[in-house]
Amino acid sequence: MTAAELKAEFTGYIFDEIDLDIESDSLVGFATAVGETLPKFIDPAHSDFQGVPNYLTRIHGSRALPKDFPVEMARCFDAGKSIEFHAAVRPGDKIQGKSEIADIFEKTGRSGTMLFIVHRMNFYNQDEKHLATVDWRLVQREFDA
Amino acid sequence: MSKANTSNIKNKTFEEVEFGEDLPSIDADISLSNVTRFAKAAEMMAPRFIDHNEARKAGLPSAIVPGIMSQGILVSLIHAWAPNAEVLNVDTIFRALVLVDSKATASGVVTDIDNDTKIIEIDLMIKNDKGETPVVGTAKIRL
Repeated sequence: MTAAELKAEFTGYIFDEIDLDIESDSLVGFATAVGETLPKFIDPAHSDFQGVPNYLTRIHGSRALPKDFPVEMARCFDAGKSIEFHAAVRPGDKIQGKSEIADIFEKTGRSGTMLFIVHRMNFYNQDEKHLATVDWRLVQREFDA
Repeated sequence: MSKANTSNIKNKTFEEVEFGEDLPSIDADISLSNVTRFAKAAEMMAPRFIDHNEARKAGLPSAIVPGIMSQGILVSLIHAWAPNAEVLNVDTIFRALVLVDSKATASGVVTDIDNDTKIIEIDLMIKNDKGETPVVGTAKIRL
């Protein structure tokens, strides 16, 4: 399949949903290890205690690609991640993550053609507040349509 | 942990930020013990992150730093410069491996100041001891 055909078939729908409870220890451990020293990120007793802005990037769905997607994860590498931050994640939150393929495109350079797959996860809390959008760019080298 | 310390750094105002301003760089702690701490908190205890020997068996030069840990280090760099920064988004590109127990310096520079929206854009990078930049990124913040 070409990149355009893959895009037509596999974008535009939610292919995976996961639920996760947020715990203080994980928020503190994540923040401390990346070097945050602000009390609101590392002190659970702080009145505004919350996860660091990119905390939710750690959450993956139960599958990285939709069922029957004709690319093997083993042939892909992680080319980057972006996060659009909408609201704070707090301890005790019950998070729901919804996965979709946001875009598929190809680029050709000196090393051949590469297929880019943008895996998007939108995260919501128990009040259905939209917390963040995380885009994960997967790249498959030597893509041959 | 990284050497950033925000305890003595004052909040910034939008007016104080200058185009081209460098954020004070930080030496990130990417020791095996700290990366293991991160991996545990993030539930990413894969051998390639926490065990040099297992990583080498998998064909890597050594254990590697998770990409999202590098991203988190870059966010902490922003908070070390401006503790009151509200990070709106961060986009990081993983160009090469960051090796555990190596030297990694995080730095940033202000590349855009929008007086209408009050949004500030920052270019971010992590350099290794060879002068290479395995991780680059951008962030938009508000003060």
